[in-house]
Amino acid sequence: MVPPQWYLLLAAAVFCIGVFGVLTRRNALIFLMSVELMLNAANINLVYFSQYWGNVTGQTFSLFTLALAAAEVAIGIGIILVLYRNFDDVDVTKAVTMRW
Amino acid sequence: MAGIFDFAPAIALLPLFSFLIALLAGRRMPKGGALAGIAATAGSLLLSLATMLSLAGGEPYHATLYVWAQGVEAVDLTLGVLIDPLSAMMLVIVSLVAFLVHVFSLGYMNDEGETGLARYYAGLGLFTFSMLSFVMADNLLMAFMFFELVGLCSFLLIGFWFRERGPPSAAKKAFLVTRFGDYFFLIGVVAIFATFGTAQFAGSESFPHIAEQALHGEASVNTLGFEPQTWFTIVGLLVLGGVIGKSAQFPLHTWLPDAMEGPTPVSALIHAATMVAAGVYLVARMYGFYALSPTALAIIAFVGGFTALVAATMGVVKREIKQVLAYSTISQYGYMMLGLGAGGYVAATFHLMTHAFFKALLFLGAGSVIIAMHHNENMWDMGGLKERMPVTYYTFLAGSLALAGIFPFAGFWSKDEVLYETLIHGLGGSPLLLAAYAMGLLAVFFTGFYTFRMVFLTFHGEPRTDTARDPHGVRWNVKAPLVVLGTLAVVAGVVNMVPVEKLLGIGGIDFLHQWLDGSFEGLTAHHYEEVLPYGSAYLGGGETATVAIGAAVSLGLALAGALLAWRLYNVPEPVEHTDRLGGVKTLLYNNYYQDEYQVWLAESVTYPLSRAADKFDQGIVDGIVNGVSSVSLLSGSRIKRIQTGVVGTYATLLTLGLTALLVVVGLLGGWF
Repeated sequence: MVPPQWYLLLAAAVFCIGVFGVLTRRNALIFLMSVELMLNAANINLVYFSQYWGNVTGQTFSLFTLALAAAEVAIGIGIILVLYRNFDDVDVTKAVTMRW
Repeated sequence: MAGIFDFAPAIALLPLFSFLIALLAGRRMPKGGALAGIAATAGSLLLSLATMLSLAGGEPYHATLYVWAQGVEAVDLTLGVLIDPLSAMMLVIVSLVAFLVHVFSLGYMNDEGETGLARYYAGLGLFTFSMLSFVMADNLLMAFMFFELVGLCSFLLIGFWFRERGPPSAAKKAFLVTRFGDYFFLIGVVAIFATFGTAQFAGSESFPHIAEQALHGEASVNTLGFEPQTWFTIVGLLVLGGVIGKSAQFPLHTWLPDAMEGPTPVSALIHAATMVAAGVYLVARMYGFYALSPTALAIIAFVGGFTALVAATMGVVKREIKQVLAYSTISQYGYMMLGLGAGGYVAATFHLMTHAFFKALLFLGAGSVIIAMHHNENMWDMGGLKERMPVTYYTFLAGSLALAGIFPFAGFWSKDEVLYETLIHGLGGSPLLLAAYAMGLLAVFFTGFYTFRMVFLTFHGEPRTDTARDPHGVRWNVKAPLVVLGTLAVVAGVVNMVPVEKLLGIGGIDFLHQWLDGSFEGLTAHHYEEVLPYGSAYLGGGETATVAIGAAVSLGLALAGALLAWRLYNVPEPVEHTDRLGGVKTLLYNNYYQDEYQVWLAESVTYPLSRAADKFDQGIVDGIVNGVSSVSLLSGSRIKRIQTGVVGTYATLLTLGLTALLVVVGLLGGWF
């Protein structure tokens, strides 16, 4: 049996990679991928604790998260397409017209 | 059963209709809506007379017509009708004078080719409506509302010729000065509601009745920690503020002479039946309350006596006929206040009635003279009008004799009774009343003098100008009201010939006393005499001798004044004798510098005070509000700069925020 801290460390590492990606990358597609990483880090925790307590609720939740992520990607891709159409680029630092 | 009393509201509503008609359709009607006004006031007069007749044999009437604010565990605010002998008498007087003034206006306004007649008749209608409603009000709040409406109408009518310089300013002055008094009245109304939980005039739930019980310890009222007696005096004096303003008593009398800028029929209406009469009527209406407070009564009496004297002296030197009449009005209302304060409820009411007749007569007579003189009011330009306008002369003379208090004209009886009541109650142990009596007596002399100075200068001697030599004629619509009022000024005294009753021992001819006893319990003249704090005493020789001496003294003084005027001014070519007065002349011409002193008060006391209040308002109150808004504006303009539009920045801020939150929660939760 793998001790719990390994799962937690894995989830934290994946989440941090996601955050790093969001903070450093300029490409909107990579943004989206990083967000997926953060979501899945949460999923790892959910699934692990579900198994740990012998309760399926957590796994059910992770299914919900997957569905949500799919929807999010659909919208995100849509936004990125519009972004490209308007700015001829998917660089998020270029699209700064919505400011004070 | 539908009795005549069910139609009582119509007495007031008819002039309201004429107001609406004149307002909405007056321009398109013949004579500018005058006929509607005449018809309406004639209807009011007939209804008032019918009401009075049925009251003579029946019970007084009181009904609540409309509750306009339903109180939840508090007082209801209502409109109601109270028809008792006092209000019925006043209704007749007001509607009669209003009717005659409407008729007279045909001659004074229509025949003289005035413009804006619709506005004029609308004003008259509203004025009559307000005063009639005020008279029949059954509670103090309703009375206050119509009291204010009367003030508004006087403003509108005094300022009728608003394109000239004087009238708008006079109208504003009348409005502001009376409003100053009304301010105290309003506080008084609130105080009465707070104290008694009711403002009804009549019945066992009325405030005079509760006040009387409270003084006997039979009822408890909220007196804010004062002794009931002290508190009732304070409340009474607050209400008296409104009375002093409206009835032009010292020191708020200054608006009245200026109000002569209005059309003369309006002056007649204001002085005889509405507006100025409203103040005195209010005191009479709630006399049961004032009778409980010796201090308030003494102040009323003293203010009245003082006003009577001061105003009479000012009337002595005036050049314009209407100015003389204005000061005589102030002086005569002083007598009424003196009578009320001295415990002569019937006497004061009697004087209110006779004065309404003879003062309306004198003003309409003056109006007739002014028409004849082509709107020149200066008496020094008149003279010799006696032969040229006999109807005006003889009616005016009747009014003057009544005003001066010459036997047997109406004014003699009422003024004599006022002075007699003051005298016996003063002798009964009130030295202050004796002082007021002395001032009242002295004023009789001046009244006789200025009245006949006016008559002689206007009608006697040789004409002093071309206009006076060939005056403009007047028509029936001027003469008819004069004749009606002239008759009344001669005979109205018979309703209350108390001196005759006492001297000759004929019982039962004090009709007014009996009439005013026929009211609700607690509102009768008899009841007032019981609660009054005065004792009576007589001069040596008993009651009969006191009556005779009092009457003889006041008649003698009036005749002396008239004789002096006769000596000085009943000559073919009268000259001004005012120079003989020396320094007093300037003082009198300037009305004792009352205007100057009030302007000084306004400019050097009120103005700096209001400027300081304005500073406080603009600086501190508004300053705080503006400060709050500018702080948020400034911080907003700084903080908005984090909205860079770069998604990365937002993500960074989110992450930093989350981290900061985790650190804080960790620190507080003791994770480390």
